[in-house]
Amino acid sequence: MKRRNFLKAGSLGVVGAMTGITGLITWSSRAYSATINKTYYITDGQIPQSDGTNVYFKGFSSSSGSLNVPGESLIVQEGDTVNITIVNTLNTTHSFVIDGVVDSGNISGGSTKTISFTANQTGSFMFYDKLNAPYNRVIGLHGGFAVMPQGSSDELYSGSRTFKKQLFWVLNEVDPAWNVRIQNGQTPNTAFVPRYFTINGLSARPPGAPEYSDPNRDSGYDPRTKLSGYIGDRTLIRCLNAGMCEHSLHWHANHLEYLTKNGQVRNSVWLKDIIGIDNNMGQFDAIYPFEPPPDAYPAVTQGHYVMHLHDEMTQTAGGGLYQFGAATAIVFK
Amino acid sequence: MKSSGGGMGGGGMGGACYTYPGAPATPGLTTADVTFNRSIYMNGSMTMDDGRNVTIWGFNDDGGGGMGGMGGTFPSPPIRVNQGQLVHTVLNNEEMMWLHTIHHHGIEPSTENDGVGHTSFDLQGTYTYQWLASHAGTYFYHCHTNTPLHAEMGMYGALIIDPPEGPGRAFAGGPSYDVEAIWAVDEIDSSWRGLNWDAGTCGGDVGLNVLNPDYFIISGVDGAQSALTDSRVAVKMNRGESLLVRYINAGFLPQTIRFGGLTGSIVASDGRALPMAESATSIDSVAAERFDVMITPSSSGSYTVEIDIKHWVTGAVLGTARTRITVN
Repeated sequence: MKRRNFLKAGSLGVVGAMTGITGLITWSSRAYSATINKTYYITDGQIPQSDGTNVYFKGFSSSSGSLNVPGESLIVQEGDTVNITIVNTLNTTHSFVIDGVVDSGNISGGSTKTISFTANQTGSFMFYDKLNAPYNRVIGLHGGFAVMPQGSSDELYSGSRTFKKQLFWVLNEVDPAWNVRIQNGQTPNTAFVPRYFTINGLSARPPGAPEYSDPNRDSGYDPRTKLSGYIGDRTLIRCLNAGMCEHSLHWHANHLEYLTKNGQVRNSVWLKDIIGIDNNMGQFDAIYPFEPPPDAYPAVTQGHYVMHLHDEMTQTAGGGLYQFGAATAIVFK
Repeated sequence: MKSSGGGMGGGGMGGACYTYPGAPATPGLTTADVTFNRSIYMNGSMTMDDGRNVTIWGFNDDGGGGMGGMGGTFPSPPIRVNQGQLVHTVLNNEEMMWLHTIHHHGIEPSTENDGVGHTSFDLQGTYTYQWLASHAGTYFYHCHTNTPLHAEMGMYGALIIDPPEGPGRAFAGGPSYDVEAIWAVDEIDSSWRGLNWDAGTCGGDVGLNVLNPDYFIISGVDGAQSALTDSRVAVKMNRGESLLVRYINAGFLPQTIRFGGLTGSIVASDGRALPMAESATSIDSVAAERFDVMITPSSSGSYTVEIDIKHWVTGAVLGTARTRITVN
């Protein structure tokens, strides 16, 4: 995390061995630094969109037989040694980059490369394929990476406002015409006109629709995405935009505590019901506080609400189908 | 959760899908401090500076009479209350041909009163939205049924919560103002006109993913020329007075507002006071974001305020709406 006042360097503790730490809603802190090993397999295939249309993607996948878009998120702790192995199962050249942290360089088709770095900046990051920009990123080669402060389980950076849970929201849009060109080894030759809008690779479904409430298909019920909690279950959202469009995110029922924009800690914490995110790798961090909705009368502590993008074109699929776009559920349990 | 299961609505709603018609009793309904009555019109129009008429949908203040469909003001009439008041917004949608809701954007009520179809109901009949005005600031209200279309067609109005003592300050203990402007800046794509209220809900490409606006407006006034002088938008004030600009991005695209060389002080955003005011000569905003900006000009003059509406991919300026602050 870049801070305006100071930059806390990673302090090295005892190096322990720890593997397989991946995207977690809750995080257990350690008093020592660890070595984290993670392997991503670059794979490709078709993923059905919310209207049933199949679209070609590539991903940083968790196994050679799967296709994960985005790649499984990875959370480490400040001071950890991180070893990332990339197995490129395709015949095209790719890379693995976290800006300001690590750049694998070219990983040619069929080859494997391991890169190592020390996680010395807390905060939220995107890992992505920087080659053939922006196409390799937009086609699906991206994911979320976070560095927790050493010894802390509830802060974004040392001294930040605290949370109980954390989520990555990786945004993307899909113009199938681009994906077809990239699949065929061609450069897209049309303006980007998105037809599908995703959070963590999925779009929403309304009640009654096929796949409604399927946690593997409906972004409203995907546990990586859905905001669900009791009063006080403050949830950090690490939002990363892999896509080509600038967006507006709108939460119902609570204002958020808006902590960072594009990796910078903000001057002061604003309470917002709208937070904008820049295109081409914009990001923010914000906490959804799960406070009783303040304007309810009679007062309530339970309810079912929505988070949706407010650039409402994003609430569609294939040019129609309102409620099949980039949205998720907010459940006060 | 109520669901029509993707089936048909009742009473002439044709082939609408994934709508959730209903008109339940308001939970815990009690006497309100202030009540607003709203009905629907879908045959309004706005005359642009180039002479074209563009179809507008919106809400009328029907005084409780429920006369829908007769055309109406644009933007829809404001809802303005004092902090601490219990509010009823009574929406009369007795017409059986369409569904609508009111979502009070930034207001955070119970699920039933949030006006989101798929978590509660799309109104078919009459419903009293009951909510508490707990935080002073700038909000807006809009329809949340087939929202890409209904909001673009104009179904929105300002929602202002004044401090408990009434207008005059941005919020309790906040800065006082002498003059107030409410600028809801929106873009209009005239090619979206002509769609039915339920366009696209059953699938098929009706183009709701592509917004190519050709008009850029401020609070229902064309920003090409009219808004420079129209008294609903343009500000006339005296040196030494303070102006509160309530700026609402009422469109879908990113905007940048520039204050014509004046420096403002952002005191609140999205209905919440800032921990510390921030000075600004311009502000970037995204869809539905609000900023409350205090401007106290130190010298007389004519200041042209410009709002650029930008493409969401390229950032190219698609159009600029203009108004004016004249300081005597």
